[in-house]
Amino acid sequence: MKKVLLVLSTSGTSAAAIDYAVKRAKDEKAALVALYVLETGLANEVFDTFSDIGFIGEKPSMELSESIMKEYRQRGYEELGRVQVKAMEEAVGFEPLMEQGDFVKKVLEMIKKTDAFVAVLVKRKKSQIFKYFSRSLADEVKENAPCEVVLFTEE
Amino acid sequence: MSVEIDTRPIWLILSLKALRPAFFIALGLLFWFLISMPTPDGLTIAGQRAIAVFAVCLILWVSNMVPLAITSLFAIVLVPLFGVLSKKDTYALFGNEAVFFILGAFILAGAIMHSGLSNRIALNIMERFGDSPRKLLLSIFLLAAALSFFMSEHAVAAMLFPIVFDISKGLNLRPGKSNYGKLLFFALAWGCVIGGVGTFLGGARVPLAIGILKETTGHTIEFLDYTIAVLPLVVVMLLVGYFLLTRFFPIDVAGVESAHQVLVKRLKTLGKMSYNEYAVGTVLGITILGWIFLGKDAGLATVALVSVVVLFVLKLVRWKDIEEYVNWGIILMYGGAIILGTALDKSGAAGWLVNSAIGSWATTPWTVFAVFSLLSIFLTEAISNAAVIAILLPVSIGMAESLSLDPAIVTYSIAVPAGLAFMLPMSTPANAIAVSSNYISVKDMAKGGLIMCLTAWVVFNLMAAFYWPLIGMGYSK
Repeated sequence: MKKVLLVLSTSGTSAAAIDYAVKRAKDEKAALVALYVLETGLANEVFDTFSDIGFIGEKPSMELSESIMKEYRQRGYEELGRVQVKAMEEAVGFEPLMEQGDFVKKVLEMIKKTDAFVAVLVKRKKSQIFKYFSRSLADEVKENAPCEVVLFTEE
Repeated sequence: MSVEIDTRPIWLILSLKALRPAFFIALGLLFWFLISMPTPDGLTIAGQRAIAVFAVCLILWVSNMVPLAITSLFAIVLVPLFGVLSKKDTYALFGNEAVFFILGAFILAGAIMHSGLSNRIALNIMERFGDSPRKLLLSIFLLAAALSFFMSEHAVAAMLFPIVFDISKGLNLRPGKSNYGKLLFFALAWGCVIGGVGTFLGGARVPLAIGILKETTGHTIEFLDYTIAVLPLVVVMLLVGYFLLTRFFPIDVAGVESAHQVLVKRLKTLGKMSYNEYAVGTVLGITILGWIFLGKDAGLATVALVSVVVLFVLKLVRWKDIEEYVNWGIILMYGGAIILGTALDKSGAAGWLVNSAIGSWATTPWTVFAVFSLLSIFLTEAISNAAVIAILLPVSIGMAESLSLDPAIVTYSIAVPAGLAFMLPMSTPANAIAVSSNYISVKDMAKGGLIMCLTAWVVFNLMAAFYWPLIGMGYSK
């Protein structure tokens, strides 16, 4: 069966992206795979900040980043739940996935694994100056993905 | 839906990829240029080399290309290598009292966290006083500040964060949308920041500043004198912070019953207060009294280390526990910063920098105080507060000497504002963690933080001009 991959993450969300993915799956008679990526980058940054600048030991720094990841995971479940409700309303087959790690790597892996024909991603809002000097992770996925990639900007 | 192609010039893409190696090559070339250029008039060769080491450390601290402690390691290696100070003098500075005081204070804080005492105090206060949205907010704000009087503000932020997270979840606050969610995390971050400047224990920056002051001038600042001088600033900033936050983000929840249940549940899991908690609390109390009453004669570091020994004698902690709570890079960071400050002073580089770069505009004591405090408060938004002290203090002490200013007052002008980082997540770990919650955006923090910074600077300068003379402190010697 054809699959639409909807990628959500801790970076941001977009109701338009969710609506689009559900509609596209319905129109193409495909199943919707919703992937929530728990980005470890932010939790790692917090760990480094406490460890390198605050000189706080490994245990409290680690507990802190674990507590952040726990919260992100919870938010991921809630977000996937919302997508599931939308998919059920439209009678679209639904499969939730949650992965932790590097965003680009994980998304490319899952595109390959699920054999999705289209991936729907949400990219962060950035000012023009930041856009010029750094590309979003969603752009990087788009550049390397073996399938069509549709981008939405976070709301 | 959009298709975006990387349209940046190829040279830009390539240079971004080659940034790190290019950065270090450029830094090496800059260092080489600074030490091989003709020595300017009035500067010794050792002074020129000290300035070159200073420039390298300044750039590394600002750019954060390597961990802070490793930048200090550069200073430790380069200072004796280029003959700015002898090997013996350089490494002897590691035996500085400030380094051991900081170490002792961090070990004590580690013991308090390990025993669970700080967690219990925090939960009890929130549970007892936080029965309405306003009171809960205030109790988090004041608690973060009060705990930061007794242990590192970073440790307080780390300890309170999971509790505040649970409270916001218990209240079903939506990240990024809920005003009350923003208020709770702001209260946590800014409470730690404001309280952290109240005593020597809120962070290592004040002991570091005093270490540099003592090494370069022989003067010092006593534990209680510092708190008496700074306390009005803490009180005013807590009032301003609370007023500002509740105006920017009006409270949008009606009750906090579910948060109360979260706190009760957490308290239940702690059980009864243990012997360890009582004993560690007693040791901390006696240590603080020791710092106040014996600090001048026995030395702050001695009091701290005696307490550490007592913790181990009474088997309240094991070495393994302490290892988990203290990052030993702290010794390199603060030892290196003191070495750099001393190298600048002893080589005459600090005095030369003052005369050639700053001397013309700094003509009155209050100008010096105002300008250095302003530099310190804004620099600390971008770089670590310890780095701000290592960068600004040696130069400002040099200036104090040339203008007959009290070097202790100049030390206050750098050390206190260096702790007041309100604006950016990279300024201090407490801000970083508040933003990582996703309840607060960087924009929220920058907007409110700018007002807090400017207010803190004005209040600090007014305090120096009008309050300090009342307690026997003045700009001049």
